[in-house]
Amino acid sequence: MATTTLEISKSAGMARIKKAILPYVYLLPAFVVMSVITFYPLIYQVIISFTDFQTKDLLKQLASPNLNYIGVKNYVDIVTGGLPVQNFEFFRVLTYNIWWAVTNVLVHVPAGVLIAVLLNTQGLWGKKIYRALYVLPVVIPPIVVGTVWKNIFDEQYGAMNQFLTAVVHLFGTADPVRIRWLTEYTPPIPWLLPNGPLTLAYYAMMIANFWLGWPFMTLVATGALQSIPKDLYEAASIDGASGSQQFWNITVPLLRPAMIPAAMYGFTMSFNLFNFVFFMSGGGPARSTEILVTFAYDLVRNLRLYGAAAAFSVIVFFVALIVFLVTNRITRATEAYTEA
Amino acid sequence: MTSVTYENVVKKFGEMTAVDNINFHVDDKEFLVLVGPSGCGKTTALRLLAGLEEISSGEIKIGDRVVNDVAPKDRDIAMVFQSYALYPHLSVYDNMAFGLKLRKVNKDEIKRRVTEAADVLGITDLLQRKPRQLSGGQRQRVAVGRAIVREPKVFLFDEPLSNLDAKLRVQMRAEISKLHQRLQTTFIYVTHDQTEAMTMATRIAVINKGKLQQIDTPQNLYDHPGNLFVAGFIGSPAMNFFPGKLRKDGDKIVVDTGDFVVPIPAAKAAPYKPHTDKDIIFGIRPENIHDADFVPPNIDAEKVAVKVDVTELMGNEIFLYLVSGKNTFVARVDPRSKLRVGQQAQVMFDMDNFHIFDASTEEAIR
Repeated sequence: MATTTLEISKSAGMARIKKAILPYVYLLPAFVVMSVITFYPLIYQVIISFTDFQTKDLLKQLASPNLNYIGVKNYVDIVTGGLPVQNFEFFRVLTYNIWWAVTNVLVHVPAGVLIAVLLNTQGLWGKKIYRALYVLPVVIPPIVVGTVWKNIFDEQYGAMNQFLTAVVHLFGTADPVRIRWLTEYTPPIPWLLPNGPLTLAYYAMMIANFWLGWPFMTLVATGALQSIPKDLYEAASIDGASGSQQFWNITVPLLRPAMIPAAMYGFTMSFNLFNFVFFMSGGGPARSTEILVTFAYDLVRNLRLYGAAAAFSVIVFFVALIVFLVTNRITRATEAYTEA
Repeated sequence: MTSVTYENVVKKFGEMTAVDNINFHVDDKEFLVLVGPSGCGKTTALRLLAGLEEISSGEIKIGDRVVNDVAPKDRDIAMVFQSYALYPHLSVYDNMAFGLKLRKVNKDEIKRRVTEAADVLGITDLLQRKPRQLSGGQRQRVAVGRAIVREPKVFLFDEPLSNLDAKLRVQMRAEISKLHQRLQTTFIYVTHDQTEAMTMATRIAVINKGKLQQIDTPQNLYDHPGNLFVAGFIGSPAMNFFPGKLRKDGDKIVVDTGDFVVPIPAAKAAPYKPHTDKDIIFGIRPENIHDADFVPPNIDAEKVAVKVDVTELMGNEIFLYLVSGKNTFVARVDPRSKLRVGQQAQVMFDMDNFHIFDASTEEAIR
């Protein structure tokens, strides 16, 4: 009698242990893959951010005694401007980078919503065609977009200046327009960002990135719009709401749960929009449109400062994390209105 | 004084005619129920009045004013939707206050009206909640509350109870009736449920395939249905129909269904005389068919031979599903009935309460 009870409890215990382990067994393959492609480079990078890692160190192992650990010197140099690089003030680049991301989102989200609302008009002809068209910018590689727009803003042959020339001709001026979009350093509105110049290149890139950015917001907004029940608008129209009152009192608050995550996604995308910035302005003129990631790339590509670049990336990671947490907190993005 | 008038109202969606030339008049303070099967056009008829759909032709008047081209917000109506259509991002209080805020009613007045309505509906302690935190019945009350605070001239209800469970539906039915008595306003109520219509309405308008079939008080509709559709739609279980012929049999007129023959009492025969040898449909309600052992006194009853197919005991009555030749039909008999499944028996048709319809026009002959 006693032994059978013992055996039963023993096997029950085994079952319990099995049950506890099983989830980890399932996770193992994913964990192995992620260790190789994510965790190892991540940790490697954090380690070399505390060294003066240079080209000559590339062939060595991390354990090599020749690797020169210099503590937090890289971090200090970055923040205090101690790197051997021209026109680099960390906080100016950081401010510009945040400004760049914020202004992009501030333009893309309202424009995306507005276009979505207009395209959602009842009985609009060719809706499906527009919806197919506005996905195009999303699927074209940013490198191509950056290069094409760089050419559009070319001082001599660019479409933008030619277009402006044609417009000016209508008003009777014969001179061709020669705006130095990507190379002029004097800021057109000097007081706008006191910490650094917002050169013409910034505005040109805002235009180009608008072309790249609004379709995604429209895509999200269109989906969210279609999930707003029609009878809410009917109830509101009986309650006495005009078209614009319906927009502000129903459309906007009910789009919020969908648009805030999209805006945060847009923010991180713009914040780290490496290939677009790199190919359109190259961070110029005089590093005025440089963002943190293009700068980090420059540290490696041209200056071969691997250690400093690694430290830089770690900083960028924390900056992005803080910004993300703050916006998440402020907007309580996780809140949804779903009726259930 | 707010009456509502539909004059030759037509609504077309493309080729489809949803509302087909409807005429009726709703008096001030009346509780009119539009009833019909789903897709019959009753909701469309209501939405035309609310201004949510445009009228294709005809006129709708609220009071003496033609409202065809008046915006919904200027029609002085309030509507309760089937889905409640509460604003999910606003609290119960703000949901109810929304319309008043838009109309620039001052804050104290808004507060007074909302608290008062909440009090009437018993939702005072829910005012700070969001709609998603409410049960179906509570949302329903909020939707009604949102309509009340506006103090409109006409209340419109679009199947407001169909998302509630059966018990709550019965309770809310009584509450809406009470509300009507209390507010003394014109109510127009759409439902597909004839029980709701019968229990709440001052008058019922029966609609089918976009056409108004009959409009009358619940009792008159039940006792004197104007056509086959109304007869079959009002009442549960539905009226039994037997296709047959009117025949002269000596000095009597009889209904011959092929399976049984019942004579029409001499006192009632006059209207049917011109219709002899015509194809007709004979209708009789389940409660007018009795177990031969429990026939009420002083009625003109006729025997019909049947076979009992199914019995359903309801407690206070028994539903018998009976077969006579090719016809199956329902009788609602005394619970003491001893009839059992499979048994051959005789039931009594109460010939004081029957209906005869022309088989080709489906109109009542009377």
